[in-house]
Amino acid sequence: MTAGAPSIAVPGPAPAIVTRPRRSRPGLRLVGRYLLLSVLALVVIFPIYITVVNSLLPAPQIAARPPKFFPSSPIWSTYDKAWSNGHFGHYLFNSAVVTTIIVVGQLLTAILAGYAFAFLKFPFKRTLFVIFLATLMIPFEVTIVQNLTTVVDLGLYDTYAGLALPFLATGFGAFLLRQAFLGIPRDLEDAAALDGYGHWRFLWRVAVPLARPAIGALGVFAFLTAWNQYLWPLLVTKDDRLRTVQIGLRQLRSASIEQVNVTFAGVVIAVIPLAILLIVFQKQLIRGLTAGAIKG
Amino acid sequence: MPRPSVRTLAAVAGTALALAALPAAPALAAVPRAASVPPCPLSALSKAKGTVNITLWHQFPRANEQAIQALTNQFNASQSKIHVSLVNQTTYQDLFNKYVAGLSTGDLPDVVQIEDEGLQQMIDTRSVLPVQSCVNADHYGELGDFVERDLRYYTVKGVLWAMPFNVSAPVFYYNTKAFTKAGLDPSSPPKTLDQVKADAEKLKSSGAVTQAGFGLKNDPWYLQQWLAKTNFTFVNNGNGRNGRATKTTLQNATGLQAFQWMSDMVSGGLAVPNDYLNPSSAVNNLIGIGNGNLAMTIDTSAALGTISQLLASGAYPNVGLGVSPIPSPPGSGGFRVGGAGLYLSTKSSPEKQAAAWQFLKFLDSPASQAQFAAATGYIPNRKSSVTLSAIQDLWARIPGYKVAYDELTSGADNLASAGPVFGDYIGVREAITAAEGKMFNGEKPAAALAEAQSKASATLAAYNARVR
Repeated sequence: MTAGAPSIAVPGPAPAIVTRPRRSRPGLRLVGRYLLLSVLALVVIFPIYITVVNSLLPAPQIAARPPKFFPSSPIWSTYDKAWSNGHFGHYLFNSAVVTTIIVVGQLLTAILAGYAFAFLKFPFKRTLFVIFLATLMIPFEVTIVQNLTTVVDLGLYDTYAGLALPFLATGFGAFLLRQAFLGIPRDLEDAAALDGYGHWRFLWRVAVPLARPAIGALGVFAFLTAWNQYLWPLLVTKDDRLRTVQIGLRQLRSASIEQVNVTFAGVVIAVIPLAILLIVFQKQLIRGLTAGAIKG
Repeated sequence: MPRPSVRTLAAVAGTALALAALPAAPALAAVPRAASVPPCPLSALSKAKGTVNITLWHQFPRANEQAIQALTNQFNASQSKIHVSLVNQTTYQDLFNKYVAGLSTGDLPDVVQIEDEGLQQMIDTRSVLPVQSCVNADHYGELGDFVERDLRYYTVKGVLWAMPFNVSAPVFYYNTKAFTKAGLDPSSPPKTLDQVKADAEKLKSSGAVTQAGFGLKNDPWYLQQWLAKTNFTFVNNGNGRNGRATKTTLQNATGLQAFQWMSDMVSGGLAVPNDYLNPSSAVNNLIGIGNGNLAMTIDTSAALGTISQLLASGAYPNVGLGVSPIPSPPGSGGFRVGGAGLYLSTKSSPEKQAAAWQFLKFLDSPASQAQFAAATGYIPNRKSSVTLSAIQDLWARIPGYKVAYDELTSGADNLASAGPVFGDYIGVREAITAAEGKMFNGEKPAAALAEAQSKASATLAAYNARVR
C-alpha cells in the first residue's frame, strides 16, 4: 500500500457480521476450505488411482459395471509384462538421457539469453525479444519437417543428439528467465559492480541464485515436455534402439481387452519418474510460476 | 478394423509432412497405366552377394505382432539369402506420417503396411513399386486363389498396388440370451436395418436391455458397407478407380435411408451412438452388450478373439455370443474389405525390392495366411487357406470368423464392392462423423446427409489441390 492511498478503510466490522459470534468464523472457513480442497484433490487423484487399480485387475474386471475400485487379488505380473513387452528397460534409459540433455541445454540457453535481455544493452534488443516471443506462437508440428531435414542433413538421424537438438533452446525459457532477472533490484548490480564483479560473475553468483525458483520451474517444465515427447522421437529414430518411453507405451496398446491391464501398468511405470520429480520440486514449481507473475 | 486413435496431433503433423514431401505432379500422372509401371528387378536377388537385409514397417499391437514375428522367423529360418527385420511404428496414422517423413530423410522400409484407405495417398507419394510389376515379372500364377475382393480393393486401373495382408470386415454382434429374453429367435438375427429397429424395440420394451437395443458405432466405414451392398459407390469416377475421386457420392437412396435409420434409432432411444473418433468410446458398444445395457452392435470381425476369450472367462454369464452378416438395406452387391496391405518401395535397392517380393509371396501363401488368421482373427485372403486345418479348427471353435469370410466372398464383385479410393480419408471420415453427430442433436437426416456430402467433397477437393 502506498503512502498516498486515501484512507477510507472500514474501521470496524460490518453490522451484519457483528450479530454472529466472531470466533466460529475462521473455524468454519477452515473446515469449508479443507472440504473444498479435499474434493478437488480427489478429482485430481482419482484418475491416477484408477490407473493403478486397473493395472492390477484381471482384464474382464476392468470392463465390469459397476466398476471395481479395489483389486481384491492384485495381479502384479502385469508390471513384469509391461516392462518386458514395452522394452521399458532401455526406453526409460533413452528417455532419461534425452530428457537430461534437453533440460540442461534449455536451462543454459535460457539463463544466458534471459540475462542478456534483462541486463545487457545491445542494438535491436527489443526487436530481438519480440522475435523470441513470436516463436512461442509457432507450434512444433509446423516446423517438424524442417527440423527433421536439418537433423538428417547434420548426420544426426537416429542419434541422441538428433533427439535433443531442436529442444535445446526455447523462446519460453528466455522469456521466463528474463522476467525473473528483471525482478532483481538494480542496486544489487551496482553493488556487485563496485565489488569488481563482471557480467559473468554477477550472473552466476547473484542473478542465478536469486532466480532459482524460476529456473527450477523452467527445469521441471522442460523435463515434463521432454519426457512426454512422442512424435519427434518416432520420426527421428530408425528402430527400437533409441526410442523413448512414450513410444513404448504406444506399442503396449492392445487391440485385445485381455492386455488392457498391462497397458495401464505401462502408464504407471512411465509416470513414476514424473511423479517423483513433481513431488521433489513441488515448492520450486509453485514459487517459480508465481514469481514470474510478480513483475512484468 | 483397428483405427488410429491420437489424431489431432498426428493429423496436423501429417498434413505438414504431406505438404512438404509430396512431389508436385499432375494428378492423373500419379496413376500410371499398366505399361508405365516401374520394373520389378527380380534377377537382382540372385546377383546379390551375401544376405540381403530388408525391413518391414508395421503397426500391429503386441499380440498380433507376435503372429507376424513368428511368420518372419519362419521365413528367415527357411532360407539364408534374405533376412527380414520388423519395426513396430505404433499406429497406422503414425506409421504413415513416418513413411512420408522418410521420403525426405531417406529412411524408408522395403515393405510397409498401410491401412486400406491409405491407398490413394500411397499412390500419390510416387514411391510405390506396384506389386503388379512383380506379379508380371515373376509370372506369379496364384492370384486366382486370392479372395477376389481383397485384390480388387488394392487394384486401380488394372494395377495391383499392394498385397492384401491383414484383412477384416465388420460383422453384426448380438446377445442371444437377450434375444431369448425379449421373445426373439436368437437363430434368426436381423438382416435389414428395419428389422434391427423392430428387434431393438422389442428388446427395449421387454426389459431385456437396460439402455437401448443397439450400440451405434458412429463410423463412416459402415455407411461404405451399406452403399457397396446396394451397388452405390462412395466416391465418384468409379469409386476413384477410373480416375481420381473428386466428390463423395452419398446423396442417394441408400445414403438417405442409412441417415434416416440412424436418426430414428437414436431419437427413438433405440440406439446409443458412440463416436469412433473417441478412443475411449470405441469399445463402449461391446462393453455395453457385456453389461446388459445393449444387445446388438456392428464392429470389426477382428474383435471376435477378444470377445470369445472374455466370454470364456465366465465374467459375463448373461451374454451368449451371436455373430451374423451386418444388416443392410437389401441389395445384390457385396461388402468391402478392411484391414491393410503391404507395399513395396521404389526407393529400395533392386536386390531389396526383389527380396521383399519373395517375402510378400511367403506372407500371402495359403499356409502363412491360415497361420496368421488363426493367431489374430484376421480373415485369410487365400481361398485354399480355409481348407487347412488351422482355419477349419478356428471356425469350428468360433463360427463368427466364417461369417466375416463369407461376407467377403458373397455378393457381386464390382466397382462398388471393391471399395472407394480417395485421398484424405481421415478428413472425409471426420466430415461424415461430424454431420452424423449434428443429426443426433436434432438436425434433419436429409440436411445432415447434404452437409456430409459437401464437407467431405470439400475435403477431397482440398487434398487433390494439394497433391496436384
